[in-house]
Amino acid sequence: MPATSAPLTPGLASFLKSLKTNPIDTSIDNLISLLKRRQIRHSRSCATATAYLLLRVISFCRTTDANKLIERVQSVGRRLMAAQPREMVVGNIVRRVLGLIRDEAEDDRDAEFALSDAGSESQPQTPRVLEDPSTPQDRDFLSVRHEGSERSSSRPPLTSHSTNPAPISMFSLLSGPEAESSLPGSPVPGSPSGRVTGHGSVRDIRAEVLDGIGEIIDELGQVDDQIAAYALDHIHSNEVILTHTSSTTVQKFLLKAAAKRKFTVIHAESYPNNHDATHATVSGTVSDEDDNLSFESFQKPLIALGITVILIPDSAVFALMSRVNKVILGTHSVLANGGLVAAAGTRVIARAAKVHQTPVVVVSGVYKLSPVYPFDFDSLIEYGDASNVIGYEDGDLVDQIDVQNPLYDYVPAELIDLYITNLGGHAPSYLYRIVSDHYRKEDISF
Amino acid sequence: MTAPVDSTSGSTPAAGSADAQKPNSEARTGQPPPPTATPTSTTSKPAKAANGATKPPGKAKGGAVEGGEETLTGAELKKRAKAEKAARRAKEKLEREQAGGGGGGGGGDSAGAGGAGAAGTGQTAPPSAKKGGQAMGAKEAAAIGLQKGQKQAAPRRGSAQVVQQGGGVVEPKKKKEDKKVAVFGHLYGQQRRTTIAGAAKEVHPAVLALGLQMRDYVICGSNARCVATLLAFKRVIESYTTPLGTSLARHLTTHLSHQITYLSTCRPLSISQGNAIRALKLHISSVDPSVPEAAAKASLCDFIDSFIREKITVADQVIATSAAQKIQDGDVIVTFAGSSIVKQTLLTAYKQGKKFRVSIIDSRPLFEGKNLARVLAKAGLDVQYSLVHGISHAIKDATKVFLGAHAMTSNGRLYSRVGTALVAMSAKERAGGVEIPVIVCCETVKFTDRVALDSIVVNEIADADELVTAEPLAQVTGLMDKAASQPEASTTAKKGNNKPAAPSPLTESHAGMRSTASASPLKDWRDTPNLQLLNLMYDATPAEYVDMVVTEMGSLPPSAVPIVHRMSTNS
Repeated sequence: MPATSAPLTPGLASFLKSLKTNPIDTSIDNLISLLKRRQIRHSRSCATATAYLLLRVISFCRTTDANKLIERVQSVGRRLMAAQPREMVVGNIVRRVLGLIRDEAEDDRDAEFALSDAGSESQPQTPRVLEDPSTPQDRDFLSVRHEGSERSSSRPPLTSHSTNPAPISMFSLLSGPEAESSLPGSPVPGSPSGRVTGHGSVRDIRAEVLDGIGEIIDELGQVDDQIAAYALDHIHSNEVILTHTSSTTVQKFLLKAAAKRKFTVIHAESYPNNHDATHATVSGTVSDEDDNLSFESFQKPLIALGITVILIPDSAVFALMSRVNKVILGTHSVLANGGLVAAAGTRVIARAAKVHQTPVVVVSGVYKLSPVYPFDFDSLIEYGDASNVIGYEDGDLVDQIDVQNPLYDYVPAELIDLYITNLGGHAPSYLYRIVSDHYRKEDISF
Repeated sequence: MTAPVDSTSGSTPAAGSADAQKPNSEARTGQPPPPTATPTSTTSKPAKAANGATKPPGKAKGGAVEGGEETLTGAELKKRAKAEKAARRAKEKLEREQAGGGGGGGGGDSAGAGGAGAAGTGQTAPPSAKKGGQAMGAKEAAAIGLQKGQKQAAPRRGSAQVVQQGGGVVEPKKKKEDKKVAVFGHLYGQQRRTTIAGAAKEVHPAVLALGLQMRDYVICGSNARCVATLLAFKRVIESYTTPLGTSLARHLTTHLSHQITYLSTCRPLSISQGNAIRALKLHISSVDPSVPEAAAKASLCDFIDSFIREKITVADQVIATSAAQKIQDGDVIVTFAGSSIVKQTLLTAYKQGKKFRVSIIDSRPLFEGKNLARVLAKAGLDVQYSLVHGISHAIKDATKVFLGAHAMTSNGRLYSRVGTALVAMSAKERAGGVEIPVIVCCETVKFTDRVALDSIVVNEIADADELVTAEPLAQVTGLMDKAASQPEASTTAKKGNNKPAAPSPLTESHAGMRSTASASPLKDWRDTPNLQLLNLMYDATPAEYVDMVVTEMGSLPPSAVPIVHRMSTNS
């Protein structure tokens, strides 16, 4: 959730703050420039920003037609993705929203489901894993989803059952919740569902879609805890676990296990791009200026739970791998073929683990799972600031040599033994199935 | 005292951490000397010093009194006696260890310190001088014992420290105990020497300097260390005179052993150093006693010169020429860190007019590749530079991998700078691509008959503080802090009260250390429970990753290493 104090540097928190007040086009431009300037990095921050922006876009989109809505989201999505093509989560969220709209539109077309008034949606969403079925089972799915509200609003559906054409239902609905839209005039970002009521008044399909986006946002907030719930299934006592980078998902996963079991963590510091954050994570000192960390709720370091953490330079990974029981990695995004794009250095670690027959476990939220198939691996790799590799004190070198600082590595699927997502553990070969569960075919390349 | 700034880029982080440490150790080991330290009447016998060092603590008390303190309460005396007892045990242990590790080194360095102290008070009052020296030596040894942080000595160590530091800053030192990574427990022998204080008086100044240079990575790399050691030993031999009643063949070996012991306390000896020293000792012991001393010394110096020439200088040229033949136009050569022989190979190939690109992979904390990159770029080569995290990118379009070696073990494993194995592995495991040949350039002097299966049993652990990134700007304040603490320390020391003088500089330096690394979240890692830092120096690359070892005796597969080693040591 956005920070309470106004952050000085532009980032996710400032973006979410400005989202409420700025006109929608400004917000879109704002996010695009933030993405371009890499002021929002990290998969989750990008995903959250995209989800909130689309929420806003849809609620401001004064259209009744699902196709127009799709077009609108597509055009915004294209611009966002063009701004930062390597942040694949942006595309993932856009695709999921598109999928939501299509689902709702199909439901609507089938007219099986009576349109309930949006006002009854104000009750908080039950946090649940989003399982958008690829084949929308119209009524069943939705009735399950809104079981709570259905009971209270079982009357209106009966009356509006015959009124299947969309415009009529819209007019009939306009009278009711219109007044409500002024009530949460500036929606509180704390409860996404509150926003749904605010702007989901124009047309029911949008209410449903906004509802769905709210669930995506909920999912983004809970994904780490959901993944962490599987920790005890995978970490046994006295294990030696190697990890890399300061991924919060991994940290929460390990923390969950640390509450019950004792093990040792070997932490490769991922110099030079993420070592400061890694050092901070390891030692439990949080640097305030880091946008990502201020966004995350402060958490205890592993060492506070009595877990021995050994910090090593990345180069010592091979030397220590023979002692490691399990490698647990975070990732930047997961691709449809089971490969992943993760922080630079991950590939050699995974490779070294393979050589030593050490299992490699990747923890990742489903939202990082991208339907993109990597035909050209190089296009996925982003290169970063060379001054991280050669500092200013060695400025004379920079003119003479070619300094490279790749930010990401492509790790092929065969190096990964297991993926743990918020839906459970999967083999890399199974990921395509989850992809098809979450994204509709027509949205994969838009 | 600070390491002379050298082109070796690796010295920067090392110097930083050394600076940070120095006041610390000075506070402990450096402060006591002032009253007694006016050395250089070197006639006092080493044997005497050693004797003095092992004498009961009762006399040591006298020495301490002589060292400045006039009145002592009974409790203090008792404490001191205890401390010295502990110190003596630590020292004996140390000596034993050094004798084992340093190739049969004789008297320990702390005994030598006693000797130096004794020399200070001169020959006029031998008994008291002896005692003074002994007290100092014991104290020094206690400090070493502290640094060593042996587990079984923990309680005694603690008491010694209370006396030394007035019970002030015991806490952070105690934490050091669990800062050892359990798996590598066997590798934390003694901490590297931080000052030359307490070095045996037999140690030649050239060796003293060399030791510090090696510790600070000013002289770094297997070859450089080997050559520097031999050259220093040459000077030792030149200034050596055989004492009456012994023969050169017998006494010079023990004399060299002191030097070797000292060097190994600065940084564990490399395989090449060990091999060179072994050859030198063998040669010394074969010197005919009837040969006049001058001639014998000349022959030894010749031997050293020819050893350096044959085993390293010429060997390097042969290797460089033959390895350069492996480079073709259009090649992309990947190398790791900064190997001198790889540098020579690449430069040779470049001079032959070959057109190729070099991709250097470097690692923290030494950044040895930076130096290599600078040299190659100056020479005009096309150089690409990245760190360990970019291995898979650098290896993608590579055609050959050239690696330097610290040693080659008899089971064909390459023992080299940590990270080498990752590079070799990446070359062999390129996804869906052709395997890239991995060529190791290695002189036969680096071959060893030891075997290694992993990188854990045999390795070297460097000071973990090298991993704590220090901001160059903050370091200035750290240095100033230290300078400020210095006069204060000396004034307290001048009061004649040696022991309570220690805490204040220690806390000061501790503060200095903090400000040095203020930018890093790891600055307090020693005080953070459960957090450990590991700074390995080497790793062992499996033999199957190495396609060819280029030596001065030809190019071989790694399986041929033991055969060649036998040939080269027998000849």
